[in-house]
Amino acid sequence: MLKFLRRLAGHVVRGLVMIWIVTTFTFVLVRLMPGDPVQTQYETLLSKGMSPDQAKAQVAVTYGFVPHGSFWSQYGHYLWQLLHFDLGRSVRAQGVSVTTEVLSTAKWTIGLVLAGTLLSFLFGVVLGVVAAMRRNSHLGNGLSIVGSLLHGVPQYVMALILVTFLTVKFKLFSTGPVDGLLEPGFNGPYIASIVAHAVLPAVAFALSSFGGYLLSMKSSVVSVLGDDFILASELRGIRPSIIFRYVARNAILPLFTVLALSLGFMVGGAVFIENAFNYPGMGAMLVASIGQRDYSEMSGAFLLITMAVIIANICADMLYTVIDPRVRRGEGA
Amino acid sequence: MTAATEPSTVDGASTGPGVRISDLTVAYRTPAGELPAVSGINLELAPGSITGLVGESGSGKSTMALAMLNAVQQPGRITGGVIEIDGLGDVLSLSPKQIRAARGGSIGYVFQAAQNSLNPLKTVGKQLLDLGRSHGVEDKRALVRQAKELLSRMGLSGERVLDSYQHELSGGMRQRVGIMLALVLNAHVLVLDEPTTALDMISQANILSIIKDVHAEHGLTTLVVTHDIGVVAEVADRVAVMYGGRLVEQGPTVDVLRAPSHPYTRGLITAIPRLTGDPDVAQPLPGRPPTLGTIPRQGCVFRERCAVYAAGAREDCETVDPPAYDIGAERLVACHVVEEER
Ligand SMILES: Nc1ncnc2c1ncn2[C@@H]1O[C@H](COP(=O)(O)OP(=O)(O)O)[C@@H](O)[C@H]1O
Ligand SMILES: [Mg+2]
Repeated sequence: MLKFLRRLAGHVVRGLVMIWIVTTFTFVLVRLMPGDPVQTQYETLLSKGMSPDQAKAQVAVTYGFVPHGSFWSQYGHYLWQLLHFDLGRSVRAQGVSVTTEVLSTAKWTIGLVLAGTLLSFLFGVVLGVVAAMRRNSHLGNGLSIVGSLLHGVPQYVMALILVTFLTVKFKLFSTGPVDGLLEPGFNGPYIASIVAHAVLPAVAFALSSFGGYLLSMKSSVVSVLGDDFILASELRGIRPSIIFRYVARNAILPLFTVLALSLGFMVGGAVFIENAFNYPGMGAMLVASIGQRDYSEMSGAFLLITMAVIIANICADMLYTVIDPRVRRGEGA
Repeated sequence: MTAATEPSTVDGASTGPGVRISDLTVAYRTPAGELPAVSGINLELAPGSITGLVGESGSGKSTMALAMLNAVQQPGRITGGVIEIDGLGDVLSLSPKQIRAARGGSIGYVFQAAQNSLNPLKTVGKQLLDLGRSHGVEDKRALVRQAKELLSRMGLSGERVLDSYQHELSGGMRQRVGIMLALVLNAHVLVLDEPTTALDMISQANILSIIKDVHAEHGLTTLVVTHDIGVVAEVADRVAVMYGGRLVEQGPTVDVLRAPSHPYTRGLITAIPRLTGDPDVAQPLPGRPPTLGTIPRQGCVFRERCAVYAAGAREDCETVDPPAYDIGAERLVACHVVEEER
């Protein structure tokens, strides 16, 4: 247990350092941006007739630092606000705090990513086992080929294909925006609305990524089948159903890392799919904020994507300490 | 569910069943066609004996050992022969269900790589229960008791070992766990493939004495497969020497080691200083053992490395497969020259 906690603490510290690096990077980037967005907004506000003091205050609220301070005082101010989860104000949606904005879109994206990834993981793993067991038959070969092909199709292409066929051609699903009037939360209509809108993007996710799981699972199963302990178990007369479980559990182990990591990366990768389906997630927000050069919103989104990757990483590693006795007890082979 | 698979206390008086292997041939499918790794082997394991099967790496020992459980792996298959075990019948004609019951139930097998013969994600105890479940054992407590008894007989703490994962056990401990799992269901035929390879000298000596002890106490018929003739000298009553998929010589260990007959056996023995006693006399056998593709199809498989053949080439060595000539005193030798000079 102590070991577990120490490991976790190490991860958290490393994660915080990563977050610090990323935020510092965005901070510097925003200041180096051509046409200095901070200065630009300041001047825009002035030209709108605001007094310099008012304009300065407004900019400070938006970016988390004042336009004219020294680099270090700006940086210090920025970090201080960050510590209070204050990412500044959105330029696009006037006056709304970026934290609120990012969180309200993030939950859509996270739901989509979770659903899509779990779906593709389940399909990929089950079909991967079949492909491995039947690897010398047409079924096994066919599955592997389909897996490789789908694995090669980029997500946005898959999304466009689905949009074209299922919403434009056959009108099975709507691509309209989610009803903004619904109260977000755990209530029937809201969930129904999410589900209705999330089905296609989730399927697009699953279709474009289960091929990867299928191929990984197949090769993992084939490799475990060649392990000494499988033959040894057969030589002890262990029942085939039990041997199958030995194989499955050993083979799925390395896939959990892939799963957890992809959960993190998917949050960033959701951009294309969300856009194709008019899905109100972070992808849509990111695209809109890029379009309007809303730097505070962009850095908020990047921060969340970074955090998703880091957290997924930690989860992947901690998962191992739970399910793999070699990591849990002993030297950690 | 047969009586043999039921864990019960050991009846020390009984001896193991006899095992008769006749004309066993096993071939592997290769790009060059199906090539025999074991050819026309005849070998009898006397009830209650320990037989050592010795030969260089690649001579077909593991293939033959696996054949005894009808477990030759793809792309290999048993192309002919009979393996008869008392009380079980011909292993090769058992149904899939019967053969699974026989593996572990009647024939215990300690895997060549016993170092990695356990599921890394489960404790030894859990795997013991899987073994019991697979063989329809109802009394789990008796099974666990039997396992602990065996382990403590081999100098281990049963409680601790059953609660351990593979990575928490040393090489010698894993080997003993392998032996426990092979015997816990009261198998009376024990096959050990390279039981001492990958162990340090002390563990080797330990395992060998354990093998001798459990063999005697459980009334087993044991086959020890090894490339190390020293292991044979240590444990085996009888020795069978394998080369290029054939048995070239067999007989009582003491006699064969004292007066080896086949040129290959002689070569093997002079290659080992600790058997000849004098390091200066020790001479490595020249050349390399054949692979599946380079085993001569005709004549004696050993002639290319044979000192006798080199001293004066004989035609029958090239054309006639030497049969196992009976040279008396329970000894068989597959060599034309030895037979002729007798
Ligand atoms: N799966 C396999 N496919 C092809 N050839 C094999 C296979 N397993 C073993 N062989 C060949 O069969 C011969 C005997 O192998 P093996 O029984 O493992 O020998 P030993 O145990 O005496 O070292 C060797 O030449 C080896 O290359
Ligand atoms: Mg071998």
